[in-house]
Amino acid sequence: MLQALVSTASQLLEDLNRSLLRSRAFASRSQQVPPSAPHYQPLERIRLSDGVGHTLFEEYASHRAEARGEEETGWLLMGLREASEAHVLATLPAGAERDASVAHVQFNSSGQALGSRIVRQTDKRLTILGVVHTHPGSLRHPSDGDYRGDSQWVRHLRGREGIFAIGTADGKGQPPSLFAEQPRPHVQCLGEMCLSWYSLREGDAKYRPLPVGLTLGPDLARPLHSVWGAIEAHADRLDRLCRQQAGVTFEVVPGEHRPWLAVNIPLAEPGDALRVALTEKEVHYFLLRGGELLAADCLDERVDRGIYLLLAELAAQS
Amino acid sequence: MDFRPLNDTERRQLIGALRGNAESDRAILMDRRDTSFAGTAEEVTDEEVIFAVKSVPCHY
Repeated sequence: MLQALVSTASQLLEDLNRSLLRSRAFASRSQQVPPSAPHYQPLERIRLSDGVGHTLFEEYASHRAEARGEEETGWLLMGLREASEAHVLATLPAGAERDASVAHVQFNSSGQALGSRIVRQTDKRLTILGVVHTHPGSLRHPSDGDYRGDSQWVRHLRGREGIFAIGTADGKGQPPSLFAEQPRPHVQCLGEMCLSWYSLREGDAKYRPLPVGLTLGPDLARPLHSVWGAIEAHADRLDRLCRQQAGVTFEVVPGEHRPWLAVNIPLAEPGDALRVALTEKEVHYFLLRGGELLAADCLDERVDRGIYLLLAELAAQS
Repeated sequence: MDFRPLNDTERRQLIGALRGNAESDRAILMDRRDTSFAGTAEEVTDEEVIFAVKSVPCHY
């Protein structure tokens, strides 16, 4: 099938090349071809879902109250990139395994990679939009060091442009504040916490203030934040499993004391599946067969290895 | 194995996908189950997203 597609594609590519040589004819034909994706313009503004706004301010406040509260922290932003605006719909936390100090933060990318896979289960249009990170002082603008990295990184983003926000705790408002304010189009403040939003496009010499607005909507990744320890602990093995096995899905399920990360691996029979429930330190395996959930006698803490041992056991029984 | 000519809509979509690939480096998607053409639309490949995540620079 792929060979047939490639053959057909080659023929169509030849057609396309021929058509490019005939500009007038091309102009009339191109109107019939639906655009495959928007032609990206520089971002004019961004919209945050109110869920994302809540996450950023609430988790920034929580971070400041923690033992590592003096360190910088941050979030990776996911959402939809449109022609000249972007919608921020999910936040991936820096993670407990981040490398951070009062002067830098490097996110735990393994956890965020798995988190992005889980968030994108329901909508493959979701992409990486940018980064929020905090500064300990009152510098509400990305630093020169930020620019050196970001100016290279944005080439990997849609539209070759990224969204960057700086969190500071230097606002004039005093906590507790009843509601957030927006003293400037690119600045949001809640109490003493402020987020200042910028964009940077490939080739730009400096960041550009980016007007930000709010709209109703979820933080699609927020349920994952409650199981982020499990995501970080098993990220590499689960990410490898996703690349090896089609149809692997994830969900957050309530537990007696705390939520679990559940992994579902479909089996050949419709409805049958292997199911794994994970916390940071615990791994429990189950077999869903014929509508009945059976606990599997597997103690392997390496989740990918445990799953393949069970698959081998099931294959031997069939 | 199912071989059949593309209909007009599929043909237009594939031309659009090839144009996007040639002009803007946009990915052409393939269904991992049967290798059929899965469009481009506004969907983003896992590989593109994971690469962007893994290459986030340190922030200061």
